[in-house]
Amino acid sequence: MPSKPKTAGGSDSRFFTTQKKGETHELRTDLHSNDRSTKVDAVKKVIASMTVGKDVSMLFTDVLNCIQTDNIELKKLVYLYLINYAKSQPELTLLAVNTFVKDANDPNPLIRALAVRTMGCIRVEKITEYLCEPLSRSLRDEDPYVRKTAAVCVAKLYDIAPDLVEDRGFLEILHDLISDANPSVVANGVAALSEIAETSGKDVMKISTSVLQKLLAALNECTEWGQVFILDSLSKYTPADGREAEGIIERVTPRLQHANSAVVMSAVKVILNYMNMITTEDTLRTLTRKLAPPLVTLLNSEPETQYVALRNINLIVQKRPQILENAIHFFFCKYNDPIYVKMEKLEVIIKLVGERNVEQVLLELKEYATEVDVDFVRKSVSSIGRCAIKLEKAAERCISVLLELIQSKVNYVVQEAVVVIKDIFRRYPNKYESVIATLCENLETLDEPEAKASMIWIIGEYAERIDNADELLETFLETFEEEDPSVQLQLLTATVKCFLKAPEETQEMVQRVLDMATEESDNPDLRDRGFVYWRLLSTDPEAAKAVVLSEKPVIEDDTSKLEPELLDTLISQIATLSSIYHKPPEVFVTRANIRTVTEDDVDDYEYEDENDVGVQPSADGPVDLLDIGGGGDMNGSAPQQNNGGGDVDLFGLDTGGGAPAARPTCVKTQVCDGSQSGGIIINCGFMQTNGSVSMELDLQNNGQIPVTTLAIQLNKSAFGLAPTNQQLVFSPPIAPGASGSYSVGLTVTPNMMSPVAPGSAAPPTVQAAIKNLSNNSVFYFAANFTLESIFSPDGALDRTAFINTWKGIDDTKEVYSTVQLTTSSIEAIIQKFASASIFQIARRPVPNQPGQEVVYFSCKTMTQHSFLAELTFKEGVMACKICVKSEATAYAALAKEALERCAK
Amino acid sequence: MASLSSFFVLSPRGDTIIKKEYRFSFGGTEKDLKSSVEMFFRKVKFWDTSKDGGWDGPDEAKPDQDEANDSHDAPKVDAPPVFLLDGESFLHIKRSGLIFGCSTRYNVSPSQTLELLAKIAKIFKDYCGTLSEEAIRKNFILLYELLDEMLDYGYPQVTSTEQLKMFVYNEPIITAPLVSEKQKGGNGKTASASSVHKPVSVGGVASGKSGKNEIFVDILERLNVLFSANGYVLNSSIDGCIQMKSYLSGNPELRLALNEDLVVGKGNGQGYGAVVLDDLNFHDCVNLSEFDGSRTLSFYAPDGEFVLLNYRIASEFRVPFKMMPAIEMVTPTKLEIMLTVRNEIPAENYGANVVCRVPLPRATATVFCEMVGGGAGVEQAAEHLASERVVEWKVKKFAGASELSLKIKLSLDSPSTLQTRKEIGPISLGFEIPMFNVSNLQVRYLRIAETSPSPFRWVRYVTQSSSYVCRM
Repeated sequence: MPSKPKTAGGSDSRFFTTQKKGETHELRTDLHSNDRSTKVDAVKKVIASMTVGKDVSMLFTDVLNCIQTDNIELKKLVYLYLINYAKSQPELTLLAVNTFVKDANDPNPLIRALAVRTMGCIRVEKITEYLCEPLSRSLRDEDPYVRKTAAVCVAKLYDIAPDLVEDRGFLEILHDLISDANPSVVANGVAALSEIAETSGKDVMKISTSVLQKLLAALNECTEWGQVFILDSLSKYTPADGREAEGIIERVTPRLQHANSAVVMSAVKVILNYMNMITTEDTLRTLTRKLAPPLVTLLNSEPETQYVALRNINLIVQKRPQILENAIHFFFCKYNDPIYVKMEKLEVIIKLVGERNVEQVLLELKEYATEVDVDFVRKSVSSIGRCAIKLEKAAERCISVLLELIQSKVNYVVQEAVVVIKDIFRRYPNKYESVIATLCENLETLDEPEAKASMIWIIGEYAERIDNADELLETFLETFEEEDPSVQLQLLTATVKCFLKAPEETQEMVQRVLDMATEESDNPDLRDRGFVYWRLLSTDPEAAKAVVLSEKPVIEDDTSKLEPELLDTLISQIATLSSIYHKPPEVFVTRANIRTVTEDDVDDYEYEDENDVGVQPSADGPVDLLDIGGGGDMNGSAPQQNNGGGDVDLFGLDTGGGAPAARPTCVKTQVCDGSQSGGIIINCGFMQTNGSVSMELDLQNNGQIPVTTLAIQLNKSAFGLAPTNQQLVFSPPIAPGASGSYSVGLTVTPNMMSPVAPGSAAPPTVQAAIKNLSNNSVFYFAANFTLESIFSPDGALDRTAFINTWKGIDDTKEVYSTVQLTTSSIEAIIQKFASASIFQIARRPVPNQPGQEVVYFSCKTMTQHSFLAELTFKEGVMACKICVKSEATAYAALAKEALERCAK
Repeated sequence: MASLSSFFVLSPRGDTIIKKEYRFSFGGTEKDLKSSVEMFFRKVKFWDTSKDGGWDGPDEAKPDQDEANDSHDAPKVDAPPVFLLDGESFLHIKRSGLIFGCSTRYNVSPSQTLELLAKIAKIFKDYCGTLSEEAIRKNFILLYELLDEMLDYGYPQVTSTEQLKMFVYNEPIITAPLVSEKQKGGNGKTASASSVHKPVSVGGVASGKSGKNEIFVDILERLNVLFSANGYVLNSSIDGCIQMKSYLSGNPELRLALNEDLVVGKGNGQGYGAVVLDDLNFHDCVNLSEFDGSRTLSFYAPDGEFVLLNYRIASEFRVPFKMMPAIEMVTPTKLEIMLTVRNEIPAENYGANVVCRVPLPRATATVFCEMVGGGAGVEQAAEHLASERVVEWKVKKFAGASELSLKIKLSLDSPSTLQTRKEIGPISLGFEIPMFNVSNLQVRYLRIAETSPSPFRWVRYVTQSSSYVCRM
């Protein structure tokens, strides 16, 4: 064995012996010893104590003393000690600052770098006085090891004193490092710049043509970690056109053959993002073909890497299904895959399944359904159901597989199968009732609420085709009181359906159920629903039939159900944690400046599993199972005291329970249709009153539980909006079936501004995440912002300034439109504009065009974008031409639309 | 993109052996690293699918199910390698029973982070000789020194074994490798490059005379094969790699030549009998300029263990072992499983440590195993592991071009049904075949420049089972 006995012999573990009294003294003596190996041992002992959490700060100066040595081993040990203290006790470490400054000039590059690295770890303002000089020297050091350490140190310094970094020109030096001859220096330069760009929101990593070339050149030379940093920077760049995109892709493609999965993933990200720019069919086909093998190869790596790959592939197949359309068999589970890999493979399989391969997939799923892991088996069974829902032609085959599995009598298999068969019925009504008989044979196996509720729904729905439907329900009714509320609600509805279909036999039963629901239960939902039915049945059985037995909306294939906008966001986040959680980064990347809600609120933000919504309506609460068609507003909250007036009143009362109606100036559009949000329908608009901006929400609660408190978060947008208060408290709560509104105060802050890519228009949407704190469900919507809501009252310009600005803006930056008006009075328009903070500057007749007049306006947003407008009117015509000029070209179109709206 | 907040190594019991903080939490709520690591460990140890919704989204949406799920006492489940906990993302891998983990508050690249953790584990192993709690505890100062070079401010830095040598001054303390690892190596011939427990020599000054001048090359193929009940191959693939471990003195250029008729990518296949790879990828160090022409790779081998290239083959190949099961119902409560395994590799080769596992139905009452054929020369044993409900059949050395059978006689508590028979299987086979590979990928030669004296070159071929299963 090649190891030489250590100078002091033995193992480091002996340093862990307990520290007795007097030992500190002993150590101190040793630290001052003249013998080098005694000193080395003593420092090691101190470090050992430190790593097990003992306080050895009283020896600080003694250890520090040892740094004055030519022995590198000893010096490194002291630095090891210092770098730990730098973090926890910066004030103490500051004592050593003179040594650092001195060491930063040491002839040995290792020591120079150590000094700079350690200084950067001392996170106190005061260090900056000492750090700048050595840092700027190190950034130009002849040794690459020192330069690369200095590059990281710039990022460290930026965290303490951003202004200083900018003033001293460190960012420019970092930029220069991108073309450094040494790959590690390049990697750290890019990494540091990218982090500064991300944390500051400033475009310090701006990629110009020359930077682009440098990055592409460095890509071939860089370390694997550096390649990841460079590829990630490239993915944020928007190529000028398809040609440039193709050119970059060509340079990136060889990275797909790297053994490091991170390099492959980041290369895939760049290519996917740039593919949007490419229009040539041939190129797209070639790229599609090239991407498949490396993605499949990732499935042969360690399970952890496979997991990451699978979560990403899940997104990729939703965006570009062609890439892996022929690769489904690679996703079949191996028996020794860890469960988290198996689960993700199932998700991908279900996304790739099509008519061509469904037979093969069903064979696999059937096998999986006999494995030992309960969660996996359940998901396999429900996947069979999802196949049926996705592929009409295969539905029959899927059902026969499910029936076969039910024969196994394995408790959880049967229950899961019943739940998915209910979904299949909802997808293909009146088509597969023949299987009901088999299901009915397994009633006694059902002990989970969801399965029971599903079975009861089936019985109620198909009561006329089940000979003994009433008897079956009767068996469930025996235990009515002990059942889960979702089962009780289902039983109630099913019994009523049964009664409406065969009143003679079930009169007594329905009476009993209604009694239990309205008198014995203390569950308000159950009581309410009971009362609704009771009144419906007693006043107008025909109406009851129309309501309860109405046609149900067919549920849809859910396999690629991510909202397109969210999907695009996530695709741009491939190869980041975002793509693992399937959430945009703002939701989980916690930054001090956007956190006002309690930590738990944000941390618990979880996307509803995009895959479950829809297939399992019960996830949204039992409301879907009630199934009285689209008339969700009929479900809820009949006040118990209301004992007359018939059903008209009953339903009339449901509305208008909420807050006063919104002010008429705000136009709202539906942004959330309730399908993803547990039945909460939201209309949203924006306005400004007395200088404060707000987001106006109208909520219609078609869910099952009252809306009491919501938490809202806005994504970064082109308008820099953030809610002043993230908690929306509804008092009184919006009862199920009722509606209400809320005005969310907004502030405009640069922190929430997402930069608009040069050359493109600012996206008009504001994305919001809402968490319902009653059930912790989270949903998302995007609303179109109205720019006039942030027009600032100080947007007026004086005439000269206006003329100068107008002339200074190139004509190519103009946008025009013609807008129909409701008036031909120019004064009325000026008035309307004035109230919207759009200020008149001048008005004059058009020379040589009798009857035409132009009016000039100016306005400015709270985000400091100015717009100049020219409106041309023709006498007697109820229309005008609008021309908007602005240096903020990205926003010009939005400003023009704002003017159009204000003019109407 | 940004960086890690902390790195840590935990023992199997959850003790923190190594920890390092790179970033502080912000917003004044400075959390103790220790407590968040403890929280992380609890989460990993007791991962609960029904509550955490690791893969099924949040279960908050269906609280009704919780109770039901609790009633199944679910077996212990592997936590996914990436999850969010209390505002921080935790990523981890497991190596030799130890957890290598890290936390971050940024939107990092998870692949990069996991690769980095794997790299750190590898470097630790290279420098300590073995990876074990004891080895880490004994070498902690060396490892902290290494960590300071590998991660700065949470960014990955130098992670190559030989480059690190220039910066590291502490020397490793040797610990005995774990006994289990020794056993895994089996007999001497099958030991893979990774079973050489020797730390790389350390010290910018000290290197030179240490150790032998040698290099290990393993062509390792792991097979995934799925058989139907009647013995047909349903699905098969090879995960292959060329793994090397270099102890060469100096840093000579190496040239490694593969089969000349090697074809990469399906559809490019010309020439019968050629080795067709569906995909392959290479280590950072490889120069590919001659690869297209002569299928030769040139590189300067990094010290320590590394994977030179990975390849993947999905087309059909001759499987080394065939499994032929048959179930016969003797009486309604008596079943007989007859399993024949045929080794189809050439007679001069053999399968080592062949382990066959046959899951049995729940209703199994008694089991009797009888091994058929093989004769006295075959060292084999079959055992019923009642707690796992399997029969495990071990053959120490399974000769090529031979056939062995196992007859399992079952008596059942209740009469056999269709379901009972379904519970038998899938039958899995584990094995290792030394000096044999299925794909026929060959190392034509490995040339080492500036060689005097000529270093030892150990080239080995090993075929292993990955997922080798027969459905019933």
